[in-house]
Formats: sequence, C-alpha cells, structure tokens
Amino acid sequence: MTWWQSLLLLFGLLTFLLLVGLPAGFAFLAINLVGAVVYLGGEAGLMQVVRNGVASVTNFSLTPIPFFILMGEVLFHTGLAMKAIASFDRAIRGVPGRLSVVAIVAGTVFSAISGSTIATTALLGGLLLPEMLKRGYHPRMAMGPIMAIGGVDMLIPPSALTVLLGSLAGISISGLLIAGVVPGMLLAVMFLVWIITSAIRHPEHAPAFEREEAVGWQRWRPLLVHVTPLLLIFMLVIVAMSAGWATPTESAALGALATVLVCWLYRSLSWKALGQALMGTAAITGIILFIIIGATTFSQILSFSGATNGLVALVQGAGLPGWAVMAGMIVMLLILGCFVDQVSMMLITLPFFMPMVQHFQWDLLWYGVVYLICMQLGLLTPPFGMLLFTMRSVAPKSIPTSEIFAAVTPYVLMGVLMIGLVLLVPGLATWLPALLLGK
Amino acid sequence: MYARLMRLCGGVAAAVLGLITLMVCYDVIARNLGLRSVVWINEVTEYALPIATLAAAPWLMWRNAHVRLDLLGMVLSPAAQRRVDRLSSALGLVVSLLMVWYAVRMLLDSRAAGSIVIKALVFPEWWLYVPVPMGFGLLALECGRRVLWPAGLAEDAESPA
Repeated sequence: MTWWQSLLLLFGLLTFLLLVGLPAGFAFLAINLVGAVVYLGGEAGLMQVVRNGVASVTNFSLTPIPFFILMGEVLFHTGLAMKAIASFDRAIRGVPGRLSVVAIVAGTVFSAISGSTIATTALLGGLLLPEMLKRGYHPRMAMGPIMAIGGVDMLIPPSALTVLLGSLAGISISGLLIAGVVPGMLLAVMFLVWIITSAIRHPEHAPAFEREEAVGWQRWRPLLVHVTPLLLIFMLVIVAMSAGWATPTESAALGALATVLVCWLYRSLSWKALGQALMGTAAITGIILFIIIGATTFSQILSFSGATNGLVALVQGAGLPGWAVMAGMIVMLLILGCFVDQVSMMLITLPFFMPMVQHFQWDLLWYGVVYLICMQLGLLTPPFGMLLFTMRSVAPKSIPTSEIFAAVTPYVLMGVLMIGLVLLVPGLATWLPALLLGK
Repeated sequence: MYARLMRLCGGVAAAVLGLITLMVCYDVIARNLGLRSVVWINEVTEYALPIATLAAAPWLMWRNAHVRLDLLGMVLSPAAQRRVDRLSSALGLVVSLLMVWYAVRMLLDSRAAGSIVIKALVFPEWWLYVPVPMGFGLLALECGRRVLWPAGLAEDAESPA
C-alpha cells in the first residue's frame, strides 16, 4: 500500500466509526487493532496495542489533569463559585449590558481556577442565564458571552487540555500554561468591549433595570471575601510552578488541596459535596484519558504505514512558505473543530503537525498557543462544539438551537482575530513565560 | 445490582484520584519543608492514571458520557437510529473483547517471562496490566447489554460538569 492509500484507509475507517456513533476512544482503539494487524506484525502488534495503551496514560505529565479538574469541581459543588459570581454581580454596576459583563468578568476569574471549560459554562449558564432572560436580555446577548468565556477557560491556566497538548506535542507544560494567560486575558477584554458597544448600540437587547444597590463597603465586601481566596489559589499554582518549588503536577495537586481547604474554611465543604466533586473529576478525567489510551499506537501506525512521512514530505517538498503551511494547519484545525472533540483533534493532527513545526523551527510555545486558540474555537463552532451542547442543556427549550449558534458567532470571529494577532505578534504568547520561567 | 456495579466503577476511579491528590501534596510539602519525601509517590501517581481511567470507562459508557459524534442522530429516524446504536455497541463489544483477549495473553507472557519493573518500586511487570482485562471486561459487559437490551438500565449522564 502506498502512503496515501494507508492514509485514506485509516482516516476513512476512523470517519466511519465516528459517524456510527462509536465513542471516540473505541474508534481509535478499533483503528489501532486493525492497523496493528496490517502494519505492526499481527499478533505481536495486537499485544503492542495493549502495552502502548497502558503506557500512554501511565505518564507523569498527564497527572495535573485530574487535579486541575478537581479544583473547578470542588468550587462548583460546594457552592463557593456561585457566591463568587454573586459578589461580582453586586460590585459591577452602571455599565451597559451589565449582566453580560458580569458573565465575562466572573467567567475569567473562575477560569483562573477551574480546569474544565464545561464546568465554567454550565455554572455561568445555570446561574446567570435565567436572570438575564428574565430581565429581558436578548438571548444572543445572554448566551454568547457565557459560551465565549467558557472557551477562554482553556487558555487561562489551570487548563486540563493545555496539559494534554503539552504532553502529546512535547511542549513544556508549565511554559504552555503560562503562555495562555496574556492571549486569554486579551480575548476577555475584546469580549467586554464588544458587549459594551453592542449594548450601547442596541439598548433594547440588554435593558438596564432597577435593583437594590448595595452601598459603600457592602458593595465590595463580598468581592473581597469570596474572590480574593480564589485569586490566591491561582497565584499559588502559578508561583509554585514558575519559581521551581513544584512541578506542574505538584502545583496542580497543591491547588486542588488549597481549594478544598478554602471551601472548608468558608464552611461550604461537606462530605457529600466532596464526593460529588471527586465523582465529577473521575468522569471528566476518564472521558479525556480513555481517548488517550489509543494515542501512542495510533501515531505509531500512522508512522509505520508511511502516512506521516509521506504527507509531511509532500508538504515540505512542495516548497510552500511557512505562513501558507501555518494557514493550512489552522484551517484544518478549525474545520476539524466543528466535528470532533479536542482530544481526538490532537490525536489526529499532532503526528503530522509536529514534524512540520520542527521543519520550520517555529517557537513551540507560540505554536502551542495558536493551536490552543484553534481548539478553543472548536468548542464553540457548530454543529458539534462542546460548549454549544452545554448551553443547549441549560438554556430554556423555547430558544431554538439556531439562536445559540448565532449567539456565539461574533465571539468565534474575535477568536479568529486573536489567532491573527498572535501570529503577527508572537510576543503575546512568549513574553510572559520568558519573564516567569526564563525560557 | 448492575447499576451498583457500574457506580462502584466510578467510585473506584474517584477514590483513586482523591488518594493521589493527597499523596502528591504530602510529597511536595514534605520536600519543601526538608522532611523525608517518599520516593515512590511519583511512580504510584503514574500507575494510578490507567487504573482510574479503566475503572471509570465502563461507568461512563453506562451513563452515555463518552465523547461521541451525534451526526446521524440528527438525520435518521428513531428506528434507524436504534439500529445504528446497536451496530456501534456491537463494534464496541468486539473491540473490548479483543482488548481483553490480548491483554490476558500479554499478561501471561509477561508473567512467564518473569519481567520485572525496576524503578523506585520493584514488582512484576504483569501487575501493571491487570486493570486492562478488568476494565475492558466490564466495558464488554456494558456494550453487550446495549446490543441485547438497548433501552432500560442505563441512566443518562446528568450535566457533564
């Protein structure tokens, strides 16, 4: 078989399996089993699938994932996250589109402590959406910001998917986590500007309303009480990691423990909430890592079948300039992002993309951040963006799904703009890690 | 009974993850305070990941929580959708059974060869592979149930958060 026949066979089969609704983890394993017989020498290859499967997840660089997820889950199930959001609601006043602004600001802070984009979206959607709709907000004005900021969660550490990208692509995990901060913040600022200007242009989409205003200290106290500890935990994680006291795994574990302690100090912790948080962590971790079981063998098969080298050589041989290759990769990621989940996206593309990155000698952190933003957009693009589904599950039935798609569109465009910015100004991604880690 | 077994799987995964959180925290705090740190903690944390993943997998399958593409579900009639679901469960069953079969063979091979893992801890290599046939065995059970009795026992995932 020539390399392109192998490529067609493997990806054709993968597409078929995903289409009939086989869970992604099974689909990769099925390809691995078939590929092992064809390319890895039959029986021995099949046993290799098992051996690689265990080895793929027996990896210290993946261990921050459950810890980061645990942080968000603990805040979610103990109710501390709701209190933090309520305190933003009290402190922020007088801006056009106030509740949408609250969603962005609270979402940014919450994402600085939650490793799970879905948790952030579900939390804000469940809490703020009913209030916004009751107050006469246009559904687009209400749902767009919530989904958009859920996506930004992926860029702002702690982030489970960032850890995974670093681990699979061989990029420094602590560097990549920190590199996401500036672009993530910038995106949040862009969203704010957009919300405020559109609320000024269409006041009827975000009607202002009277409410009992807390005055003086009462306005700021909840913010100090409920939000400061969250920021301190975020600082703890970042500082422990960048000062070299702890590996990313250890910082993540410390962050999780600190979160539990804070909840306990605030008397929000119960055995029930802790149990729910751990079960939630087991679920999200299990979902991510089950797909990873197929990772090593899948990339081995791509490589043994000659598909990796064939395609990479074809692109390199075509003598395309770097920017064209980069643009091609981004377009591919954006298209893939509409259909498959983030973990599968990485499994499918990284075996091809990383050799090209080496060929062009691109900065790994810079490339990693561009990749992250593409994946983040994949969370938001119809028809299969994960956060669209999350929003669907919390939004009232009377809102048509097309409205959810429309709500997220401007934010997707801003994400694309951000990709352009990072491409043009690599410092957006590389400056902070260089400053903190000396890399 | 079956529901209890599936929830137990999730519980095992949750407990394992909780445990390694505590262990890693103890390790980093002890090391930075100059207390004696425990050399095998890093290693055990690594081994915990496949255990948690494989324990959670059948439970997630049962709750319909695994990532899957829902494209055909949008265009097919409910009856056709059920047939496709059965097909995908049958494929899942085949994959699971193959994984069990080859995991057991590899485990026995490794045991017969007397392979040993020598890192901070020293133990027979086949121990590492014990969770594979167990996890995939339970997955096979759940896939088989979906082929034979597509509706019923499963409870849909609550919000994935």
